[in-house]
Amino acid sequence: MEICNSYSSSSVDSTNPSPSESSVNLSLSLTFPSTSPQRARKQDWPPIKPRLRDTLKGRRRLLQRDYDTCLFVKVYMEGVPIGRKLDLSTFSGYESLLENLSHMFNTSIICGNHRDRKHHVLTYQDTDGDWMMVGDIPWEMFLETVRRLKITKPERC
Amino acid sequence: MNYFPDEVIEHIFDFIASHKDRNSISLVSKSWHKIERCSRKRVFIGNCYAINPERLIERFPSLRSLTLKGKPHFADFNLVPHEWGGFVHPWIVALAKARVGLEELRLKRMVVSDESLELLSRSFASFKSLVLVSCEGFTTDGLASVAANCRHLCELDLQENEIEDHRGQWLNCFPESSTALTSLNFSCLKGETNLAALERLVARSPNLESLKVNRAVPLDALTRLLSCAPQLVDLGVGSYENEPDQESFVKLMDAIKKCTSLRSLSGFSEVAPLCLTAFYPICQNLTSLNLSYAAEIQGNHLIRFIQFCKRLQRLWILDSIGDKGLEVVASTCKELQELRVFPSDLHDEEDNDTAVTEIGLVAISAGCPKLHSILYFCKQMTNAALITVAKNCPNFIRFRLCILEPNKPDHTTSQSLDEGFGAIVQACKGLRRLSVSGLLTDKVFLYIGMYAEQLEMLSIAFAGDTDKGMLYVLNGCKKMRKLEIRDSPFGNAALLADVDKYRTMRSLWMSSCEVTLGGCKRLARNAPWLNVEIINENENNDLMMERNEEDEREKVDRLYLYRTVVGARKDAPPCVTIL
Repeated sequence: MEICNSYSSSSVDSTNPSPSESSVNLSLSLTFPSTSPQRARKQDWPPIKPRLRDTLKGRRRLLQRDYDTCLFVKVYMEGVPIGRKLDLSTFSGYESLLENLSHMFNTSIICGNHRDRKHHVLTYQDTDGDWMMVGDIPWEMFLETVRRLKITKPERC
Repeated sequence: MNYFPDEVIEHIFDFIASHKDRNSISLVSKSWHKIERCSRKRVFIGNCYAINPERLIERFPSLRSLTLKGKPHFADFNLVPHEWGGFVHPWIVALAKARVGLEELRLKRMVVSDESLELLSRSFASFKSLVLVSCEGFTTDGLASVAANCRHLCELDLQENEIEDHRGQWLNCFPESSTALTSLNFSCLKGETNLAALERLVARSPNLESLKVNRAVPLDALTRLLSCAPQLVDLGVGSYENEPDQESFVKLMDAIKKCTSLRSLSGFSEVAPLCLTAFYPICQNLTSLNLSYAAEIQGNHLIRFIQFCKRLQRLWILDSIGDKGLEVVASTCKELQELRVFPSDLHDEEDNDTAVTEIGLVAISAGCPKLHSILYFCKQMTNAALITVAKNCPNFIRFRLCILEPNKPDHTTSQSLDEGFGAIVQACKGLRRLSVSGLLTDKVFLYIGMYAEQLEMLSIAFAGDTDKGMLYVLNGCKKMRKLEIRDSPFGNAALLADVDKYRTMRSLWMSSCEVTLGGCKRLARNAPWLNVEIINENENNDLMMERNEEDEREKVDRLYLYRTVVGARKDAPPCVTIL
């Protein structure tokens, strides 16, 4: 199998090479071994073991392209029409979340466990659409299921 | 030392474990040779065809532990036909006949049959440990014999084997009296598992430290297993396609919290991201993490998890973690010694942004001072990056770089990567294993021959221009043991230049190169102590030997040669010709 080694290069900024501005344009006769008919049958490139090869073949195509680690959710205070947006991935747990929210909305907010008449209570809407008390489940699980936050008046709960 | 009685010398030798050291001792004098060989308990045979079992037993009558390797390394990548060889049966027959007190058998890339396993299980009363890596030819029936008959079995470790799963009850075959298990790994089994039998087995094995289950063990079963084995150090989990409900998740997490000795985690094929989350309570204790089968978990989930794994020494991961993820690894995992980044996209279908590049590699080299082993699959590389990596990490013992597209040059300068790899071999004076890739000329091999003094294993693919390249390596690398080359323009001149070099090497593999049948025949004539094998799936023995002079110029598809003291093997299949 012939691999043609001709490349044409466009001009490149040598001080800031970045992958998306690759200067290498491959000539059309270059065949990527894993897609050439011969190699595809043989399955000998890239050099990975059969179990990994099978795992990757069976893999569902990832539809989401969002590889950001941030987790922005909307936050509303009951009675206030305009909401805020918050990146939950910047918090280490419920404590730091509450602290930050208390600052943001200039009031004291607590989780469901320590309810009393003076403080606002934080609730969240999960992936099922239900409104739940914040604080019952492990933080990491909360991050996976939270869709939006609402700070409610104490008497409601 | 000659004035000490033999028992004293033998006792001193007991402290020397390494095979290399023991081999050296045996060369000192006749009496040391005898004492050493009579007291040797562990023997390692890197090529099962270099010696035969009868001679092995004759030399080492006190043998307790045997390690055997069969097929050449490139068999892992479908380059060696299944029927090539590497049968363990004659070895087990000979060991049984000689009544060797075998306790441990470790096999890699060998053909194992149910008959072999049955014979093994019945012949060695003290048998304790069976480790099979990348083997094939047996079924769960063979496992059933081992489970049933090996009364003292402590370790059954099956890694990446091709096992025909008869959906039998092999786990049920462990007798109720079997309580000595320390390690059980059946992650490569494809069929269903008798969960009740597994749970009973785990519950009566208080010394169980390592448990790796297969895909058929669901979440609730895992929770029960962990609850009766909180002492586990090494865990391989199954696969859970669906996200667990809250109750199951909390139960799992509670069970995991109790596993305070857990240090190593693997498995996770076809796993919903939430299941990884359940391991947060113990992730800061982990020293080894293998997520290379977790193809469904996206980069951001991986990154969030790894952020807490500050004690990691070994990390195997898919390139879906991205350069950003590797930067997180670099800033978090300061104890990292070994990193493997595997490709997650074989057909170049997805966005380039998600894969890893030279940026990730440089970040790791800068952030992890203890790094000594790396296997890195990537889409692109630059000389500048490799030069930086070499400066940051002069302690590499193993450096394997695989650029997915063959012959790809430095993507910023369009030049070959000779200088980059040259920097690596020059800086890493202890380098023992190297794999090169990308656009490479003969020059990189000049560098390797000049600087890689400790190099024992070299893998070459789609590289070099002329025979000079291969010659630089053969002449320069004094410690070379295994050389494997594919799709590179090296021919007879390089192959035949120094035949005696192959006395010092275990083996040479060349496929899709320029060597011809005539060249191989000449080599076989000049070196009777070598087995020169031609592998050609389209031919058989008879046709090859009838070839006339003209056809001697025909290129050989696959050549595998190795030194041996027992001559040509008798078990070669039709597609293999031994010259």
